[in-house]
Parts: sequence; C-alpha cells; structure tokens
Amino acid sequence: METTREIFWNVGNVALLVYLLAAVVVFIFIYAFIQRIKLWKIGKEEKRKDQIWERIKSVLVFGFGHKRLLTEPYPGISHFLLFWGFVILLLGTIIIFLQEDILSPIFNLFFLHGNFYLWFSLILDLFGLLAIIGVLLALYRRYILKPERLDNVFDDAFSLILILLILVTGFLTEGARIAFTRPDFERWSFAGWQIALILNPSWTESESLLIWHRFFWWVHLGLAFLFIGYLAYSKLLHIFSSSLSVFFRSFEPKGKLDPILDMENQETFGVSKAEEFTWRQLLDADACTRCGRCQDNCPAHLSEKPLSPKKLIQDLKTNLLLSAKALQKENPDEQRKNLIGESISEDELWACTTCLACQESCPVFVEQVQKVVDLRRYLVLMEAKFPQEITPMFKNLETNYNPWAFGFASRGDWAKDLEVKLLSEDKNVDILFWVGCSGSYDDRNKKVSQALVKILRAANINFGILGQEEKCCGEPARRMGNEYLGQMLIQENIEILKNYGVKKILFACPHGYNTFKNEYPQFGGEYQVYHHTDFILDLIQSGKIKITKKIDENITYHDSCYLGRYNDIYDSPREILKRILEGKIKEMERRREKSFCCGAGGGRMWMEENLGKRINQLRVKQAQETEAKTIASACPYCLTMLSDGIKEIGLEEKLEVNDIAELVASLL
Amino acid sequence: MNIIICIKQVPDTETKIQIKPDSSGIVTEGIKYVVNPYDEYAVEEGVKIKEKFGGEVTVISLGPERAKEAIRTCLAVGADKGIHLNDPAFEGSDSYATAKILAKAISQIPFDIVLTGKQGVDFDNSQVFAYLSRFLDIPFVSVVVGLELSSDLKSATAKREGEGGDKEIIQVQLPAIIAAQKDLNQPRYASLPGIMKAKKKEIKNLSLSDLGLSPDEVGLKGSRVKIENYSQPPERKAGRIIEGEEPAEVCEKLVKLLREEAKII
Ligand code: SF4
Ligand code: SF4
Repeated sequence: METTREIFWNVGNVALLVYLLAAVVVFIFIYAFIQRIKLWKIGKEEKRKDQIWERIKSVLVFGFGHKRLLTEPYPGISHFLLFWGFVILLLGTIIIFLQEDILSPIFNLFFLHGNFYLWFSLILDLFGLLAIIGVLLALYRRYILKPERLDNVFDDAFSLILILLILVTGFLTEGARIAFTRPDFERWSFAGWQIALILNPSWTESESLLIWHRFFWWVHLGLAFLFIGYLAYSKLLHIFSSSLSVFFRSFEPKGKLDPILDMENQETFGVSKAEEFTWRQLLDADACTRCGRCQDNCPAHLSEKPLSPKKLIQDLKTNLLLSAKALQKENPDEQRKNLIGESISEDELWACTTCLACQESCPVFVEQVQKVVDLRRYLVLMEAKFPQEITPMFKNLETNYNPWAFGFASRGDWAKDLEVKLLSEDKNVDILFWVGCSGSYDDRNKKVSQALVKILRAANINFGILGQEEKCCGEPARRMGNEYLGQMLIQENIEILKNYGVKKILFACPHGYNTFKNEYPQFGGEYQVYHHTDFILDLIQSGKIKITKKIDENITYHDSCYLGRYNDIYDSPREILKRILEGKIKEMERRREKSFCCGAGGGRMWMEENLGKRINQLRVKQAQETEAKTIASACPYCLTMLSDGIKEIGLEEKLEVNDIAELVASLL
Repeated sequence: MNIIICIKQVPDTETKIQIKPDSSGIVTEGIKYVVNPYDEYAVEEGVKIKEKFGGEVTVISLGPERAKEAIRTCLAVGADKGIHLNDPAFEGSDSYATAKILAKAISQIPFDIVLTGKQGVDFDNSQVFAYLSRFLDIPFVSVVVGLELSSDLKSATAKREGEGGDKEIIQVQLPAIIAAQKDLNQPRYASLPGIMKAKKKEIKNLSLSDLGLSPDEVGLKGSRVKIENYSQPPERKAGRIIEGEEPAEVCEKLVKLLREEAKII
C-alpha cells in the first residue's frame, strides 16, 4: 500500500461543496474584518507606518515568539502551545489544500506520500496534541484556578470549547479513518493510532466506522467553519487585532507624551469622544484580550482604587461600539454614552499614577497612559474640572513656577551657604545641575541636592545652577492634562537655557530627566541629559571619586517608574550600591520592570488619596519584607512618598529612605 | 442682571517684599502680580449669578497698565467685559480716592449688584467697599461667606462672618455691595477656550477726563491718607522649646523666663 492517504476519503464527492462553504465563511470573516478596520479608522490620523522591518520583527518576536507572554510561565506556555499548535495545524491544512487542489491537478505534482507523509502525520499529531494541552491548561486556569485578573464571559468559554472540539473531532476523524483502513505506517500518526485502537479494539473491518468517520468529519468541518465565521465577532479577533497592535506599536521613547501642537489655533483639546482618539488608540480597544496582566501590576488597582487599565480599555471598547453605531446613523446620537463620566469615571482618570506598569506588562502593546492623559486634557483644558486640591497647585506653577506656595525668588536658597555657582554670574560651566522643584524647596530633598553638590565638588566637576531662573520642568502639569501650562513652562525654560548656551544637564529627579530627555525635543530643546545615578556610577568607575569606606548594611532599592520603566535605568543604581555596600542588596519582589509605584506620579503627589489603600504604605510594607533597614531611592517623589509611608505606619525606628546620592556622599 | 466686580492687582502672596533704600515704597522689580485672592471669590460669585440668572459681568480695576493682566484673568473665568481705570493721575490714591474713582465709573453704567473682595492683600485696609457704598448710596455687606439672591432679584440674603465665628444672616435690598470672604465659593480655574476667548474680550480704558473727575479729587491730592515711609516689620525671633522631664518642671522654667526674660508677668 502506498504511504499516503486519500484526502476526501469516505465523504464522497464533496470538494466543491466544501470550498463553496469555505468561500462563504471566509467572505463573512473578511467582511466583518473590513468593518472592524473602518471602525478603527473613525479615529484621527497617527503616523505609525515607518520602520516596516522593525515592525515585522516585532510581530515575529512578540507575536510568534511570545516574548512578553512568556514572562509569566503558566499563561505564557498555555498560550504558546495553543498558538503554535494552531499555526502548525493551519500550515498542515494549507499543505493538504495545495497538494490536493493546486499541485496535483494542475502540475501533476504529488509529494504528500512516503517519508514526507510520515513526518507530516507525526508533526501534525504532535502539535494537535500540544494545542489540546494548551486549551486544557487555559480552561483549568480560567475556570478552576480563577485568577482575580480574569473576568469570564460567554465568549471566553465558547471560544475555548470551540477550539477544543475542533481539535478533538480532528483526532476522532483521523482515528476513525485509521481504524477502518488500518495501514501499519499510520503508527506515525501516533495520536490517531491510539484512538483507532479504542474505536476498533478487534481490529477488523466494521461498516459502522465509516459512518462514524463521516460524522466526525462533518462535525470537524462544521466547527472549523464556525470558527472562521465567528472569528471577527469574538475575542478570537485578537489573533489579527493584537498582531496589528504589535505591528503598529510605538517606537518612540516610552516616556513621551504626544504634544498638542499649535494650541492657539485649536478649538477643542484632549479627548471626550471615542472618535477623537487616533486610529491606533482605537485599535487598542480590539487588541486588548482582557488578559489582565496590566491590572495585576497597576498600583491604582492593587490599592483598591476604581481604576483598572484593563477595564479602562474595555470601557473604551464598549463606548466605541456604541459611538460607531451613532456615527454610522444606525442609532440616534442620544444612545451614545459620554466617554468621560458614563463609560470611564473621573475618579478612574485621576487615580492613574502614569507609572507605565500596565504598558510594560501588556503582551500586545496596548497604550493606556496617553489615553488617560488625553482624557485628563479634556477635563482640565476644556472643562477646568479636576480634584479641587489641584487648583492651588496649578496656580502656584503659574505664578511661582513650583507646585507649592513658595516664592520663585527663593528657589536657589537651598544652595546659599554652599556658594554654588549661578549661571547668571558665570555661565562657563561644564554641566548644569537642574535642581527641580523638590530639590529646591522640599526640606528632605534639599538634602539630596546638597549631597549631590558634595559629590560633584569631590569629583572636581565644574557645574552651576540656574537658581531663581529655573522653573518647574512642566512634567506634573503635562501629566495632569494641563498641556497649556506644561508647554508654557517648557518654553520658558528652553528660552533661559538658550540664553546660557546650556548643552549638558544633570538631574537628581527622574521626572525632570525624562521630560528633558524625551519631551523637550518636541519643543526644540535638545540637550545631553544625565540622571545622577548614571553620572555618579561613571564618577566612581572612572576613579573621579574614590570610595574608601563602605556602608555595612543590607539595603533594598526601590525602582522609580520614571527612571526604570520610562528610561530603562535599572542597573546603574544597583551598580553604585554594590560598590558602596558591605552588605547586600535585598531585592523586593516587585522590582525593575515590575516595580511598584510610590504613588506620586502623574500629579498624584498633589492629590488627596481618599479612595482605597495608600500606595506608599503598600510599597513600604513590601520594602519591610526584605528586612533591610534602608530603602535606597533615586527620585524625589519616591523619597517623599516612602518617607511619609514609613511615618504613617510608624516604622521610623525600623526603616529609613535615602537617596543614592546621599548614601554616596556620606562616604566622601 | 448687571453684575459689577471690583478687583485689584496685588503682589503675589509669596513675594518677599523689599523696601526701597529711601523708604518711599517697595521694590517692584521682580514682583509677580496676581488678582487679589479675595477678589477671586467675588468674580466666581458674579459668574455664578450670571450663570443662574443671566446678565453680564463687568470687571473694573484701577491700576497701572499691568492691571490689564488681572482683568484678563477674570475675563478668562467668565466675566464678559473689563473696565480699566488707567491714568497716571490716579497713582497714589488711597482707599477714599480709589472708591471715588470707582464710584464715578460704576455710576455711569447700569448695575444691580457690586461684588468685591473683603480686602486687598497688599495694604489690607478693607475700606474701599465701605466708601463705595457711601458714594453710590447703596448698602454693603462685608465678610460674606454665603449669598442667595431672591427670585425677583430685588434683594439678597448674605451670610457674613461675625466676631468669634458667629454667622450673621443679613437681608439687603439690591443694588448692594457684597465684599467676599474666602469661603464664599470655590473659584474656578480658567479653561483653555476661556483663556483664548478672554484675549478677544473688550477692556475699556477710562481716564480722568473720561470720568469727568478733576485732578484734585484723585491721586495723592484727593487722598486723605499719606504714607510717610515704609519699613520692614521687626524680624520675629525663633521659638524656643523648653525641655524638662515633668510638666511641673517645664512650667516652672516657663514662668521664670516669662518673668525674668520677657518681663511680662
Ligand atoms: S500607568 Fe500605572 S497607575 Fe496608570 S493605569 Fe497603568 S498601571 Fe495603573
Ligand atoms: S491591556 Fe494588555 S495587559 Fe491589559 S488586559 Fe488588555 S491585553 Fe491584557
């Protein structure tokens, strides 16, 4: 007997019918998918079509390669098995189609036989089986383990069961065929062979097997077609939408907010309707698979605030679908829901610390933070609606260029006794130390500025400050949605820096650092910027400062969001600690990419925290678990929040926070 | 409803005031000017009245050219028009002369209510609204923390802060002058379209001759108060914490210090 099989064996002359049906379901899918693309396109233009090769690479690495999905083993592996099982089975089906309907009839080419057939059968069975394991793992996780981050709707169960049934009926069909035909080489289809043994224990010819086979075959085919037709109307769409999302991901610096350009001539600002987002932002709504990873890392959600980044995206989706109907005139306008207020609450928007944990953990590159800021922009710029405690903060920024009620003229006072060079007196410096609002005005953070001065002096660096000419970098205002105020401050700072011809700037504050590095260029301000952790490490490594003593203690390090996730500076602070510690770095569970925000970002520093638990206290408790006595930080916000947290819990005797600069300076 | 709001531009409250070497005034260089914070409550109240009953809000300010900024700030939060009483002759006006100029300007336009802050945070005189009430011959209520207009818009009920935290409820016929205290409302923040629109709103300049006043009635000549010179308040000494094991011991030390060092008991 020839080592191959007949494709439409036992089902009669149905090829034409099958392909006709296939054409119908594929048409349904394509139609629905085009509708979906139209839906995304009601959004505004956004440029995401450059760097095609990089984009393709992203799809290969993050889509096919599951790079982000696999950071969590259980769900990662389960999805990996399911995904690759399906890909291989699909390839198998395509190969069969090519063989049967193109190569064989047209070119008289026949390759699906002999050894190729054997390996083909083996691989298909193997991956089919792996896919089944993947589905079973997913079902077990979703319905038995029930992790908090998953919410279950009908679609989830239906999709998984549908896939499982397709796989199982595939094997049953194969089993029934082998059971009837019983060729020895089919042992290579090892799974089908086992099923055949069950279906036909006596291993004799039995007519009923033909009926069973026909039955399984049709069910398998029907389910597969149902799958294709159902694709674009269900979560299964993510196979395409999520791939597109990965393809169209941002290659801009992670920490950058898109500016509102030409503000003087705009009528509306920010986003209050779904269609005011860009097409890329709307694509996110369909790309999100509700996997809940973002939510699992969201400090707002974990501290029991109303915000969940997953819910935010899903609420946007619901709103988008309603809006689309109204826009396409299927529904009257009244049936739309307000995006802000009805679909997404103001409390949710103000709860976000812009910590970026959601985006860093999202396997399909959904971008939450820009959306939150876009919606905040609408509230602040159009409606002047925000938690009332922010009003004085905005006003202070306007009149005194700092978020607190301190006069602008006293900005340089922290350095009075240190005789730090002011650029207004002598602009010949190698680097400008940008002190920032906290470093200038906050008593605790003034000590960090002073420590940094001590280090710079020890290393003989020729540096200066702007003193009262320095203004808030604009970061908090921008992240709170006050783009107007933010841009005003940015432009005024750029003007001053231009006057002095400043090129290099050193920051102790990651927020200032991020804004200068990633956002000032949007407004024409290009500088070489350094965060003090990179800078100090370099001073140590180059021998410009010598560490002769060491700190005999175990210390834990808290990653600042704007240093870590925003700018990928994870190692420098740790390298510094390694060089100055006698003891060890006691890492917290949530660290580096998964670090837990201190609670101050996105303007939260100036808002009351009335809902849920206090984020800073949660973080302090995580630090406490390491049994270290000192938390090292590298951000003024973190320093303030964690110090407060320690006081609030009453751990002053057991735990303290110090900036890395202070730790280093204490050894000089 | 014609709502008039009198505002003043004052140095920002965080300003470190410095006296000129000849003590004739303060150094104005480097000062950031803002709308007098109490006046902001008046503006907010005026805009709220307009939103509820309709009408027009006119902001009036007396001051040098820079006072226009302050008027614009009020236009950005919802006032409709501005009047800038702007003439070098007005310089040096005390509360009396200022009120006279304001009264002249206000009497030339229709008004149903006049709102202002309970005092300017620069000189803290708290007199202009009282003089103004006399010149316009209408009643005033000061230190107002709550305001309710009757539905026929003929009268208002004002809640004012009395001595010792008591509240007085006062019924007053309109037109009247209301001087706002800080709990009257929550002044809003300007929306961006508000700021943009404010740039296009009208600010009318009125000079001495426009008002038909004589130079003797305004400025230093028209004033009853003349400032001889300025000086800094004496610097406050740092507080001292008296330490001790027992409260009794601390008290004893305190009494001793009060008697011997401070010589007040
Ligand atoms: S940025 Fe942080 S706080 Fe905001 S939604 Fe994402 S994870 Fe939550
Ligand atoms: S946004 Fe991303 S991480 Fe969050 S639920 Fe959706 S797919 Fe998962």
